[in-house]
Amino acid sequence: MFPQFGATADTLSKASTIMFRIGTDAHLYDDPEDVNIAPLLDSKFDSEKCEALKRLLALIAQGFDVSNFFPQVVKNVASHSLEVKKLVYLYLLHYAQKRPNEALLSINSFQKDLGDTNPLVRAWALRTMAGIRLHAIAPLVLVAVGKCARDPSVYVRKCAATALPKLHDLRLEELSSTIEEIVGTLLTDNSPAVVGAAAAAFSSVCPNNYSLIGKNYKRLCTILPDVEEWGQIVLIGILLRYAIARHGLVRESMMFHLHSKEHSSSENDDSDVHSTVGKVGIDPSKKYDSELASMISRCYIEGPDDYLSRSSYSNRVSLAFSGAKFTSCKNNEDVKILLQCTSPLFWSNNSAVVLAAAGVHWIMAPRDNIQRIVKPLLFLLRSSRSSNYVVLCNIQVFAKATPYLFASHFENFFILSTDSYQTKALKLEILCTISTDSSIASILKEFQDYIRDPDRKFAADAVAAVGLCALQLPKMASTCLEGLLALTRQDSFTSDVRTSEEEAGVLVQAIMSIKMIIKQDPPSHEKVIVQLVRNLDSIKVPAARAIIIWMVGEYSKVGEIIPKMLLTVLKYIAWSFASESSETKLQTLNTVAKVLSNSRGENLETLQKIARYVLELAECDMNYVVRGRGCFFRKLLSCHLGSKKLEDEVITSPENEGLLNVLSEHMFHEQAIQQSPVPINYRVYLPGSLSQIVLHAAPGYEPLPKPCTILHDADTEADVSEQDGSGSFTGSLDEGSGSYNGSDHSVTSGGNTESGESGSSNEDENIQDPLIQISDESHLLPAASADLEELMSKRDLETWLDDQPSLPNSSIHKESKVPRSARISIKDIEKRVRPKTYELLDPANGNGMKVDYTFSSDVSNISPHVVTIQATFKNCSIETISNIVLKHEDSTTKPSDCSESSSQDDVPALVPMQEITSLEPGQATTETIHVRFHHHLLPLKLVIYFNGKSFPVKLRPDIGYFVKPLPMDVEVFRDKESHLPGMFECTRSCIFKGHVDDLNKEKGDHTFSKDKFLVVCESIALTMLSNANLFLVSVDMPIAAKHDDASGLCLRFSSEILSNSVPCLITVTAEGICSEPLNVAVKVNCEETVFGLNLLNRIVNFLS
Amino acid sequence: QTKLLLFPLSSSCSASFHSSGQTQIVSEQAIQREETMLQCIFLLSDSGEVMLEKQLTGNRVDRSICVWFWDQLLSHGDSFKQQPVIASPTHYLFQVVREGITFLACTQVEMPPLMAIEFLCRVADVLSDYLEGLNEDVIKDNFIIVYELLDEMMDNGHPLTTEPNILREMIAPPNIVSKMLSVVTGNSSNVSETLPGATSSCVPWRTTDIKYANNEVYVDLVEEMDAIITRDGILVKCEVFGEVQVNSHITGVPDLALSFVNPSVLDDVRFHPCVRYRPWESYQILSFVPPDGQFKLMSYRVRKLKSIPLYVKPQITSDGGSSRISVMVGIRNDPGKAIDSISVQFQLPSCVSSTDLTANHGVVNVLSNKTCIWSIDRIPKDRAPLLSGTLLLENGLDRLHVFPTFQVGFRVQGVALSGLQIDKLELKVIPNRLYKGFRALTRGGQYEVRS
Repeated sequence: MFPQFGATADTLSKASTIMFRIGTDAHLYDDPEDVNIAPLLDSKFDSEKCEALKRLLALIAQGFDVSNFFPQVVKNVASHSLEVKKLVYLYLLHYAQKRPNEALLSINSFQKDLGDTNPLVRAWALRTMAGIRLHAIAPLVLVAVGKCARDPSVYVRKCAATALPKLHDLRLEELSSTIEEIVGTLLTDNSPAVVGAAAAAFSSVCPNNYSLIGKNYKRLCTILPDVEEWGQIVLIGILLRYAIARHGLVRESMMFHLHSKEHSSSENDDSDVHSTVGKVGIDPSKKYDSELASMISRCYIEGPDDYLSRSSYSNRVSLAFSGAKFTSCKNNEDVKILLQCTSPLFWSNNSAVVLAAAGVHWIMAPRDNIQRIVKPLLFLLRSSRSSNYVVLCNIQVFAKATPYLFASHFENFFILSTDSYQTKALKLEILCTISTDSSIASILKEFQDYIRDPDRKFAADAVAAVGLCALQLPKMASTCLEGLLALTRQDSFTSDVRTSEEEAGVLVQAIMSIKMIIKQDPPSHEKVIVQLVRNLDSIKVPAARAIIIWMVGEYSKVGEIIPKMLLTVLKYIAWSFASESSETKLQTLNTVAKVLSNSRGENLETLQKIARYVLELAECDMNYVVRGRGCFFRKLLSCHLGSKKLEDEVITSPENEGLLNVLSEHMFHEQAIQQSPVPINYRVYLPGSLSQIVLHAAPGYEPLPKPCTILHDADTEADVSEQDGSGSFTGSLDEGSGSYNGSDHSVTSGGNTESGESGSSNEDENIQDPLIQISDESHLLPAASADLEELMSKRDLETWLDDQPSLPNSSIHKESKVPRSARISIKDIEKRVRPKTYELLDPANGNGMKVDYTFSSDVSNISPHVVTIQATFKNCSIETISNIVLKHEDSTTKPSDCSESSSQDDVPALVPMQEITSLEPGQATTETIHVRFHHHLLPLKLVIYFNGKSFPVKLRPDIGYFVKPLPMDVEVFRDKESHLPGMFECTRSCIFKGHVDDLNKEKGDHTFSKDKFLVVCESIALTMLSNANLFLVSVDMPIAAKHDDASGLCLRFSSEILSNSVPCLITVTAEGICSEPLNVAVKVNCEETVFGLNLLNRIVNFLS
Repeated sequence: QTKLLLFPLSSSCSASFHSSGQTQIVSEQAIQREETMLQCIFLLSDSGEVMLEKQLTGNRVDRSICVWFWDQLLSHGDSFKQQPVIASPTHYLFQVVREGITFLACTQVEMPPLMAIEFLCRVADVLSDYLEGLNEDVIKDNFIIVYELLDEMMDNGHPLTTEPNILREMIAPPNIVSKMLSVVTGNSSNVSETLPGATSSCVPWRTTDIKYANNEVYVDLVEEMDAIITRDGILVKCEVFGEVQVNSHITGVPDLALSFVNPSVLDDVRFHPCVRYRPWESYQILSFVPPDGQFKLMSYRVRKLKSIPLYVKPQITSDGGSSRISVMVGIRNDPGKAIDSISVQFQLPSCVSSTDLTANHGVVNVLSNKTCIWSIDRIPKDRAPLLSGTLLLENGLDRLHVFPTFQVGFRVQGVALSGLQIDKLELKVIPNRLYKGFRALTRGGQYEVRS
């Protein structure tokens, strides 16, 4: 009716938005390119410059590349307006690495600003100049930092400290000592703010230079509470590491206690510990899970990866902590002062500081005082939702090792409906761990509430938690059972209504928990089994039914009631067999078989009838697993079944029958076997670390330093060799390996079989031949000795076993005696490597000119970054071809001076090749051409000129040749590999068929039959080496029970990326039968994840 | 140009950087292992748009990580959203979500995760303080300020200046005056020309030369009460998390001392950096030089409280495909002051298909995600508020067997329910006159009643 009104309202609202946004930079963000930016940058007004810069920043924020304005922006760095400066700096830092040449233009201006009277200008200039990160100006920056480190302004000194890591990132060796010197100076600064920043610089520049800390240790401790919060976090870590490296662990601390428990029989000073324990009034066996806890402390020191891999050996090499590695908190001033100065930090507002301080106390504080960390940690739970999860992850570890710490605070872990699922799961786990006799009643009450939670996955977890609690506190078992039983009877599960999948999960979990509890003590829970069986009719979930039926078989002889009702139950399950799911059917079969084989006389006939009925049904089942098991049981139980018809079928000799009896006895009567406690393999990282949250060692994760690795004079160099010599931490001996590493890689040297059979050889575990290693770590069966014999004569084996590896003559001795068959030598392989040839120009298209190219493994003499390619020019025509040259496609327009390494062009470039003056018909010549690919994978467009004509061609890069061999031995390989876990590792698998032909060929001529493994190894190695420029580090041969099972065959290759010398490790593991196509898993460990991934794809490509 | 020759280019400095692209995979300088902590911060809007990226080190992080992140978020839903630390294929990510804005930080190396999270929270706090709230629009409108703040707060992946008072002096927050000024004069510099004095003093949170005509200081006790009441109506946990918030406008460098009547009720405390530890350790006295303006002096926790101000009695009965629900709310222990802003919120179980809820007092809203909010405000004198109605269950369901948890919100002005009382506030260096004001407030925190 009133159109104007609507319009007005609309404009009004628009206007109000504009009013609201007026004076902000909204229009710049919304439409940064509505004016021409370039002229504004050259304007003489600061405000216009600002506007232009803001527009550029808006474009950066939106992800556009505006680096083309770089030269114009850099000019403005000399502006006097601080706002323009700030904006220019923001832009400059974003693009400096992309346009280093132009960035250099700004240096003079920075130099000038560094002498400005305004500290803010000085600080900003330093920050930006260091942030540009160019090798060329590094010495200048270093001088500037040195100057600023003595600046009167605290802020400038602080910025000098943060500039140091930027310089360090450039990895200029000649500067590093000066950088460390400046770090040292800044650490002694008077202002706590500077010390904090210096600590951060220390931890990234020279984290192991403990002498810098040693000099100032006391002062750093006392200044710690005044340092700004972010510096505190870093400084706490540094001080902790120093204290451990200097003084070792604290005798009264949790860590030591955990160790000493394990060695209590052997340690002499042990009585002392026990007396303290007695005083505190803690019964150690009750309060600590000793194995877990000792594992934790070792993980802190060794890193879980090392520790866990070592512990998988049959004998856990125990750490011999000598008394000297420990210190006492009472008389050690350094430890005392550290604990004293970190304790006020529990009151910090910053949760990261509190957690870091708690970590120090957890590791260093005497056990009696460790209680102090509990309240601050619990307070952290309330700080923010995001940190909540991280804190809980840490508390979980603390609680596992020392449940009593948190036992009285259980209500802090009660679950709120707003918690995330991960948080809920963590809280449940912690509640289970810390439950005690006094708290369990309340905790179980809580769990009952959780079971009604709308999140059914969580409800199922809660049910599982009830079971765990019952296991932990056997007193509560019956109460828990009652509750769980009541749950299974709940009408939501038993009613006819279809239950949702999640609902079924809760029920299955409940029955699993019941099963777990009953397992502890079956006779006393007989009635529970009876009740469950009674409910069988109403429980519809297949998995739940399967478990109950399993229990019937398992406990068929327990107590008095079950045997009586057994027959009825069996009849019932036999009757319902046809309608069950296959999972339940399988358990029914098991149960019937168990009962039958256990039965002694009474009701035998009925039982046999039931069994025959069920077995017959099973043999007609749709599911082949059920059919198979049916057949199997029929054969196995033929004597029990007692049917005549069957006996006709299976002619059972008495001997045979006896065997079957024994077999079935073994299969069905194993319940009494007590399982040995499973070794706990939690991964534990230092409290507060990222690795603890993601549960793998993040790059850069360092476990605590080895205790007492710095001498009392706190001089730096003294430690390393000494540490290795004592060998107390390395556990397994390394000394022997030295003599082998010296041996030439190409020679067929040392055949070392690590053999677990002989006790004496345990010491030799780490000695590995660089070429072939026959590993037996996991699957050495008695039968394997036969295979061993194949590989080397028995005499050799014996002489070798008797050999002491450290004997100086051993390697020579072996070289002469080494058997002939089971060795691959690199030379041998290298001769056979035939790099693939690709066609660049075929004679049909190229006027009779044929050009092929091969990637060469030689390192170019021009620049190490350049890939060399062998190109063969052949004249297939009948005329002479002259003036042949290979050029860039666009080289006509622009002179190619790509050899100049300063060229910032990152497009692939061809180093100009010499012209071939003429080529007679039929003549061929080979030229080496050099190409700098810059890691481009797209074909490089080139042009061949000859006889005045041009032919466009495409050169396809091969990523396999962007690397060069990096010789190393297995130890180094493993070490490097362990430093490149997680993100830096990628794996793919494929089918490898290359060896099948070779094997068939072998079959053809009988004169000389090679080992199948060798053929496979060679085949894989050849394929790899012919397609990529790699170094073959080692070949691990499997020693399996079977002759032709190649599973476990493992080849390791190493290489480094041409352009930046980043190592790239490749592991190829085969699986399958020798004579058939193998399943090959390829793993690439490389810091350059993208490169690694591309290389992996390429390898998989040519392997399959 | 000639001066350039002073810095000859070595071959190693030939840096080549690629913004993105499939074919260009490795650049020369990017390989260098960065040992700094955070590499990049992204600000994402609630629709997954990258509003802003701030690269912190030379090793640039490509935006594609945000695409990966958002894809994961869409496919995994809420559980992913609440995961603060994520290991992506190339980076470790830390996320903090505030008011729909996702703050995403990337790193490739080991660092304390809480440090990253705490820092992101600090960034969020500072931004919402500067921009008076957080949403997509204000961030885009003030992106320059956001850039400048981020640059000042973090250098090379390590936090540099995070103290809000110093930041405010370095980078002026946008306010009406400056906005208008910029419109009029066309000049809108918000970057301070001088270094704030506080950066060099021994009390880095306070500028030295402040002058006020009236000296005043206000101390607020703001408490949040957490409680869990089980479905049997038993109070299993009741505690208070409180903050002492101070707003001070005092000339010069004052030295204040705050003491409590009953410090023994405090279970645990955390302090602003300005609080001296020693006096607290010996006498439980808060001795401090306050920052200028509003700040959080201390947070504390009081455990094992016995009385709750409100009762909420839910009752759910069900049969034959529908359930009857009734929720009664009333005052359990009168705190002596009026309780207002009372609200009860609960999530309807997923098996409920439709509802018919009415209340004899207040407003009932059922949101599309099945969240039901009942706003009561004050309890009337004459009758107890009652919410009642029926829940219709999905087909095939006979009875309700999962039960919602009720979250209760309320506010009591003038009372600190923990019982903590301020004794006195003393000023050591006495200016002419000092006006002191004290207030208290209690809110419902994680106050849950199960049914």
